[in-house]
Amino acid sequence: MELSLLGSGRLEPLARFADGPASPTTRPARGPKVPECHVPARKSRLAETHAPSVTLPLRFIVTGLLSLFVGVGMIVARPEVLATYHYNQYVIAITHLFVLGFISTIVMGAMYQLVPVALETRLHSERLARWQYFAHLIGFAGMVWMFWKWDMKQVGHFGSVLALGVGWFVYNLWRTLRTIPRWNVVAAGIAASLAWLSLTVLAGLYLASSKCWNFSPFDPIAAMHAHAHLGVMGVFVVLIMAVSFKLVPMFTLSEVRSVRRAGWSLALVNLGLAGTVAGILLQRSWKLAFALTMVAGLVLYGLELAAILRARKRRVLDWGMWSFLAALVLLLVLSPVGLMLGWPGLPATLFTTQLETAYGFVAIVGVVGLAILGMLCKIVPFLVWYHSYSRHVGKAKVPSLADMSVPFCQAAGSLVFLGALAVVTAGALTGSEAGVRAGSLLLAAALALFGVNFAVVISHWIRPRLSPLMPPGPISVRQPALS
Amino acid sequence: MNDAPVNSSDSSVVWQTLRCVMDPEMGLNIVDLGLIYDVSINGSKIAVTMTVTTPGCPMQDSLKWGVHSALMNLEGVEDVEVQIVWEPRWTPDRIAAEARLEMGLV
Repeated sequence: MELSLLGSGRLEPLARFADGPASPTTRPARGPKVPECHVPARKSRLAETHAPSVTLPLRFIVTGLLSLFVGVGMIVARPEVLATYHYNQYVIAITHLFVLGFISTIVMGAMYQLVPVALETRLHSERLARWQYFAHLIGFAGMVWMFWKWDMKQVGHFGSVLALGVGWFVYNLWRTLRTIPRWNVVAAGIAASLAWLSLTVLAGLYLASSKCWNFSPFDPIAAMHAHAHLGVMGVFVVLIMAVSFKLVPMFTLSEVRSVRRAGWSLALVNLGLAGTVAGILLQRSWKLAFALTMVAGLVLYGLELAAILRARKRRVLDWGMWSFLAALVLLLVLSPVGLMLGWPGLPATLFTTQLETAYGFVAIVGVVGLAILGMLCKIVPFLVWYHSYSRHVGKAKVPSLADMSVPFCQAAGSLVFLGALAVVTAGALTGSEAGVRAGSLLLAAALALFGVNFAVVISHWIRPRLSPLMPPGPISVRQPALS
Repeated sequence: MNDAPVNSSDSSVVWQTLRCVMDPEMGLNIVDLGLIYDVSINGSKIAVTMTVTTPGCPMQDSLKWGVHSALMNLEGVEDVEVQIVWEPRWTPDRIAAEARLEMGLV
């Protein structure tokens, strides 16, 4: 049935907000009201809301982004941290600023939002999450400060505060997961990531304690590398894999092509990680077999992701998705480097130790950092939109998520970010402080571009862009499919 | 005050009103997206059966609320019931042909 809004007396009020007022002669004396943009929004809460208040994840995200800016600023100021051997207090301080301040903070905030909505349940306790934010903030800020001063006793104290917060986080998410209607590969991956997070934090506390009281039987470098792999691979990469099985199909209009392949990819990465970490810690050559298992899991993951993308209905990918995919390509590129560094009997030369530095930098900032920035290009507009516009839907014309972002800043930010990674890596490999500084300045420029994009998005929080409802043009009204 | 019942002849108005509700992620209204499965009008009560693009879609509550508030603004409507269903599952094939072209879908 063809309808023209402008040609129907009954439908004419829908055109009220068009270019000019409607002709009195065509206005029906009595007719349907239309959604009005100037009607104050109802104060009642959305029915059956699954997600917590958007201020909860946003405070984590803003804190995480600030930490990233500070971390990059520290590398600009002290480029020798990446241009010289990595086992020193400054590298450890900056690493924890990136890992705890930037990545973990954002990941935790996003999980409070994502887990309930993606798994169709409710967050167990929003109040506990708010308390956890403060424990996390105090914990990581104090840890970074004390690592910088190399006061390991205080690192342990602040680390305990952070661990308390992580305990609350894991408990909160675990209680949430227990209420989901059905377990799937996404939920299983999230649960595994929570387990690795608990282990990583306990390992960190163990390392800090052993520095104070010197009781650890493990080689300190090996223990540090095991701790790092637990965190980066176990917590972040496993989580990225799990949530991408939900988010990538959702954003690209596709679906998981093989649940079995997705499940095996996660299983192999988890199994491989357990063996790799044990092998690193005990300095055994069989760690390589487990590392290969982990790589096999990543390859399976890559195959499944490629299949998901091939089957997508939405051909054009936005820049947030491109950034996320670029991060995953970096992960695959980095895997052989990890295998090489884990090769039994690899000599500790200037080059191999600098390669370790570059490997860690690309893993943390390149893979995990870029994946997070890419996803934030999707998550932040959603959170702001939800706060500013969700109650106006159907009453006023609200912008789409794409309308809220600045594609140029996203594109330029992603490309400059990748260029910066290459320059910093080259600087680290050659031990060039000038190279590291140039690369980190480029990184700061990339973050500034992302920052402009996020600032524009967040400006919708302060000044929502509502406009009168405009009637769609002549359309073909679809008949109900189920009637 | 909503005092006049909606009669069945207003169904086109109801459908047209639903086209004012946009899915912000897709940038398209929920009717052309094929999210509306059924609309039934019974006196002053409207019941809408709809879905969202994926189970666990973060926009689910907003869209449900949008449908509710858009229809409650129609004169004569006193009650709107919006039910989200998962069967049949939504697929991009349900998007209107013109909209598919506009969105660059295959």
